[in-house]
Amino acid sequence: MVLAAIYALIACGYVLIYRVSRVLNLAHGELMMLGAYLLVATASAFAASPLMAVVFAAVMSLAVGGMVYLFLMRRMTGETVLAAVLTTVALGILIRGLIVLFWSAQQQHPRAMLGWDNPVIVLPGDARISLYSGLLIVATVLVYGALFLFLRFGRWGIRMRAAGQNPLLAAQRGINLHAVFALAWGLSTFTGAIAGMLIALDSGLDSTMTMIGLKAFPAALVGGLDSLVGALIGALIIAGAEVGVIRFIDPLLADVVPFIVLIVMLVIRPWGLFGTREELDRV
Amino acid sequence: MTGTMLLEVDKLEVVYQRAITAIQGVTLAVKEGQIVALLGTNGAGKTTTLRAISGFLGLDDARVTEGAVRFRGDRLENRPPHEITRRGLSLVPERDKVFPNLTVAENLQAVVRRGRSGDARVMDDAAYHFFPKLKELRKREAGLLSGGERQMLAIAAGLMCEPDLLLIDELSLGLAPVAVESLTQSLVSIRDELAISILLVEQSAGVALRIADYGYVLENGRIVLDGDAERLTGHADIQEFYLGQASGNRRSYRDVKQYRRSRRWYG
Repeated sequence: MVLAAIYALIACGYVLIYRVSRVLNLAHGELMMLGAYLLVATASAFAASPLMAVVFAAVMSLAVGGMVYLFLMRRMTGETVLAAVLTTVALGILIRGLIVLFWSAQQQHPRAMLGWDNPVIVLPGDARISLYSGLLIVATVLVYGALFLFLRFGRWGIRMRAAGQNPLLAAQRGINLHAVFALAWGLSTFTGAIAGMLIALDSGLDSTMTMIGLKAFPAALVGGLDSLVGALIGALIIAGAEVGVIRFIDPLLADVVPFIVLIVMLVIRPWGLFGTREELDRV
Repeated sequence: MTGTMLLEVDKLEVVYQRAITAIQGVTLAVKEGQIVALLGTNGAGKTTTLRAISGFLGLDDARVTEGAVRFRGDRLENRPPHEITRRGLSLVPERDKVFPNLTVAENLQAVVRRGRSGDARVMDDAAYHFFPKLKELRKREAGLLSGGERQMLAIAAGLMCEPDLLLIDELSLGLAPVAVESLTQSLVSIRDELAISILLVEQSAGVALRIADYGYVLENGRIVLDGDAERLTGHADIQEFYLGQASGNRRSYRDVKQYRRSRRWYG
């Protein structure tokens, strides 16, 4: 369940960006990790008020996402989608390198830095869950709820959907495409960073976190890249398969499972469970 | 029609991919409160002219290389589309004119208004006032609408931008005569009630000249004829080529067609 929440929270970042700009953001795992490291940075700066640190790091990640678009991805408009996707790969490598450079490859524990502990909550039915894992699930529910409402009823949410469907027409209707795309990147990085921070708070942080981001990608694809519901269901499937394999077969296989599910899915139904079929030829 | 000048296109030249000249020396003007028709056959350069005015060119690797587009005296050429829309110029494109996966109401909400009439409700009501049918279809996805309903929605969405000038690319294309008739009536009342000028680009001269005040005829990227709508309607060439009321020359056209066909087969 926690694993599903993690995947879902990360996967919605892939979906957001893909939906408006048809670009796969392969740097999403790195951006998510950057969010977590931003928390490390703010944790030492705002040692007095830990909550401030979290809020500040989250807002900063929103800005980082927007800036990634404005300074990097905006130049890729008009280029082929492949070129844009490769740019995100390069961005990911760059971020990973910079993180190791700034924060070293050692494991960090932002929770200890903030002076919080991680009590175990006993749920009814004798299930045990750590506080931050619980928070992860809550955050996922909140983020998805907010995103659904925003995309369905929010004026800018509707504009985001419009821009995803037909950017030309959107521009002509007075929608500033750059603003919409920057917003999508910002939101995507923001949700990713929330996931990254909560994972880091729960179990510490080092540069292998990108692996989790990478494993969330199958979740987005299985569900269909342009569908939020799909991302949610995809995350459940992937996480379920992974936990099942750990429990009944071999824990060492766990990292492979999401990708096996992904391959099976790509063979059977390449556009994903809830994706639109016609989207496929654009990838 | 003594209104002030709204849109001036002055000796406009557009070149695609730095090589192909699509239009050359196109000059036209729209005054406030006017409905102006831009006529021409396929490939005459009508759409290119509209795109140059509305800022759509950059995406096709085309550029305005000469001449000027002035809107209320401001230069518009080679600006991004959303900026032009905010200056009060709104385009209803020929194809892909609505967002198919959004509902009718969402299509109207997605529009960025210029914020002159403060309340969104006012504009919503205006859109539904001119096209009452849209109100019934509010919750329907735009992709499921008929051609005529789509055109209504596209024009309504164009109105939501609160423009001073509405550019319409191919109003009547692919629509039933009844639908065209009601659309043209709506356009006239939009002009009369909201004081919005309209530049109507059409293949069907009959439709356009019936409601237009002034008309231009575009051929091979050049304006070959212009004048008041009544004068154009009466003009011999228009009668022959665009209204299909030719007397006698029918056969020669068929010969041309025959010639083309044989060239395709043997050439």
